Amino acid sequence: MSLSDPMLYAYLLVILAGFLPTDVFRFAAVLFARRLDEDSEVLVLVRAVATALLAGVIARLVLFPTGDLAGVPLWIRLSTIAVGVAGYFLFRKSVLAGVVVAEIVIVGGAIYFR
Amino acid sequence: MRAGIFSVQGIVLFAGFIGFGGLIRDVGFPLGAALLSTILVWALPAQLLIVGGFAAGSPAPVIALAVGLSSVRFFPIVASLMPMIRGKSGLGTQLYASHFIAVSAWVESIRLIPALPVYARMPFFLGLSNLFLWGSVATTIVGYLLAGTLPQALANGLVFLTPISFLLQLVRNARDLVDRLALVFGLALTPVFAQFGGSLDLLWIGAIAGGAAYAIGRWRRART
Repeated sequence: MSLSDPMLYAYLLVILAGFLPTDVFRFAAVLFARRLDEDSEVLVLVRAVATALLAGVIARLVLFPTGDLAGVPLWIRLSTIAVGVAGYFLFRKSVLAGVVVAEIVIVGGAIYFR
Repeated sequence: MRAGIFSVQGIVLFAGFIGFGGLIRDVGFPLGAALLSTILVWALPAQLLIVGGFAAGSPAPVIALAVGLSSVRFFPIVASLMPMIRGKSGLGTQLYASHFIAVSAWVESIRLIPALPVYARMPFFLGLSNLFLWGSVATTIVGYLLAGTLPQALANGLVFLTPISFLLQLVRNARDLVDRLALVFGLALTPVFAQFGGSLDLLWIGAIAGGAAYAIGRWRRART
């Protein structure tokens, strides 16, 4: 096998371009957090940044989907989010209930409106 | 075990890896390398970048850069969780455990771990996250075998599981004003930064939305 072998190349890609650039941040964070207390002030900020980042990831998946989901109209994707959040609160803050009603809307919407 | 298998997070995580398994078959990425990526990278967005880059023929350094940018988000995630779970464990154990921290394990741990005694947190975390990781390896294989057999609308529903469940779990986990503001600001800023932020937009969203939420929370506390 040589480097130009696409199969071997895929494995090298996973290790050099996937594992290394990901775990370097995990390890750096462990070293950074070593001197921090569980309820230190900095962690409130760090947690807020982590929450906002994740909110950004979620909003991107809904607003700018790649792949097949892009074929489902934006208003259906946004309605799905609204129905999911409403369902969560209506069913006494049940995440599962919110997810189920949202899934009904998105699958139904994909059948009738795409 | 129960916490892992029956959590919405577990179900959604596995659904995401079924989608990943379907994708790799679609682009001709070898199954073994994909399973290795689940074990070694353990971050679905980064794994999608690897597979997408492989399929597009992008140069390896470009893929590595994109993966690095997407994985910067682990810095606040790991830094906020590790002080909660580490107990008296040594640096080696902490570095080992940090590899298993991904968004799914973070969301579940932030919710469940404060109720546990300190000595039990690290074992609980390692048990839960190993269950998640090996379950994901298995479901990657399932997705690979299932690929192409799902009708389009169901496939769309599968893809949508990730954003809706993560969102509702963030809503549930938001315990105070800072958390709620960070969530709302992060969502609201995304369309803005998608236009102007370039490839670093997620980092800008995290820093600005998270920073503003923290500043407002601090200001409110100072007044009361």
